[in-house]
Amino acid sequence: MKPIGLYRKFLFFSLIFAIATPVCAGVPTEKIKDTTEKILSIVTDPDLKGPDRDKERKALIREVVDERFDWEELSRRALARHWRKLNEEQKKEFIILFGKLLERTYLDRVEGYSGEQVTYVNEVIEGEYALVEIKVLTTKGTEIPVNYKLRKKGEDWRVYDIAIEGVSLVNNYRVQFNDIITKSSYEELVKKLQEKVAEK
Amino acid sequence: MVQVLFAVIMFCVVLEPFPALGETEADLRVEVVSTFNGPRRSAATKGAPYSEGTIDESSQFRVAQGGAAERDTEEDVLRDPFAERDKPAAEETPDTIADPLEPINRAFFVFNDKLYFWVLKPVAKGYGAVVPEQARVAVKNFFYNLAFPVRFVNCFLQGKVNGAFMEMGRFFTNTFIGAAGFIDVATLTGNFGKYDEDLGQSFGSHGVGPGFYINWPILGPSSLRDTVGAVGDAFLDPISILIDPSGYTIAANALDLVNNTSLRLGDYEDLKRAALDPYISVRDAYYQNRKSKIRE
Repeated sequence: MKPIGLYRKFLFFSLIFAIATPVCAGVPTEKIKDTTEKILSIVTDPDLKGPDRDKERKALIREVVDERFDWEELSRRALARHWRKLNEEQKKEFIILFGKLLERTYLDRVEGYSGEQVTYVNEVIEGEYALVEIKVLTTKGTEIPVNYKLRKKGEDWRVYDIAIEGVSLVNNYRVQFNDIITKSSYEELVKKLQEKVAEK
Repeated sequence: MVQVLFAVIMFCVVLEPFPALGETEADLRVEVVSTFNGPRRSAATKGAPYSEGTIDESSQFRVAQGGAAERDTEEDVLRDPFAERDKPAAEETPDTIADPLEPINRAFFVFNDKLYFWVLKPVAKGYGAVVPEQARVAVKNFFYNLAFPVRFVNCFLQGKVNGAFMEMGRFFTNTFIGAAGFIDVATLTGNFGKYDEDLGQSFGSHGVGPGFYINWPILGPSSLRDTVGAVGDAFLDPISILIDPSGYTIAANALDLVNNTSLRLGDYEDLKRAALDPYISVRDAYYQNRKSKIRE
């Protein structure tokens, strides 16, 4: 009887462990999880399917995304050294424009959701900064590592960068922005951003 | 031709002895960290100006702890403990790859763009309409499995002995149980880790920088280092056009290309839609992705 008892105990504890692991994962992971689940519930909601509910669905996702992403931090990091040269007015304008572009990019990605599975791999907290590593398993069987970088803001954690397959979004835009600004001007960058956001 | 490969291998060996030889820890992470404690540590703490693939880029913990004190407070707003240490976010010029061939590269970018939209995409779409997705995934698995020698040798070149055995396990599992590699049994059972290593990464792991960016017609983004690496890898690739430019290998490669494209339709379009300058965006994505692969 004893081995069976031991086996049961093992099973019991492994079960507890399996359930407890994500809970122990920490606040940043919880936040990312919460946002991901909210978005998934919107994209998989049968009531919100179809082109006639398009606007409503997008607005709902946008609300959830706005809550989690720190557009100002993202803008500042993407412009890097060029950020300091802007006045308050320009900064505000830029945050809105860049936020719109990122939102659209993000919306494009989640709108194409087709049953991908998300697993939470790792979490690193470094003072007020956190890194949440997840893996997305596509329906075609490829694993895509996605890293969220977050910063603590009050009691909340907000995303300041996402890296997909090692490619950081902020870095990618930083190189583009820097190239455009150094080759032409900041005004040209704003013009390009406006055109891009206006694209359907 | 074999001599060339041998020379390349010898070059790597001479350049630096395997840092983690004999390391058989199951976890890749552990293996990588142990490499950091090896001979290169001192070089990295000095802050090598350009050190792709060395430890300071890779160890996020160490970066976070060591980097904070040295960073100037004025740019504290851009602090990112998870970025690489020698290329902080606030640096004057962003971390990117040298691109002296930009005008030519851009011309080929336009060419490849047209090639994708006018030729490759329609063909891949038609192919995808005829061949079901599951079959296409199987074809992808088959070609991936076939290129096992490349990964196997490069695991060794990077001192990832454990990775080499994992890859060997994958290869035998998928070849014999997974119907000649069409079914990726190894991933399904989760027994073997994936080590997608190539010669460009092997060079990188030994401290060789990317050189400069090359956007090849048809083949797309590469660097000087990775181009040399790809030529070296061709000797281990059973269906390399470079080694055996016969009708069979050309057909096999064409199938591989169309098949892969059919599974990734929309990715390039998404990237283009999100980018202000798609050329720069692709270039940077290539650079960052390779860097992260070398770091692993």
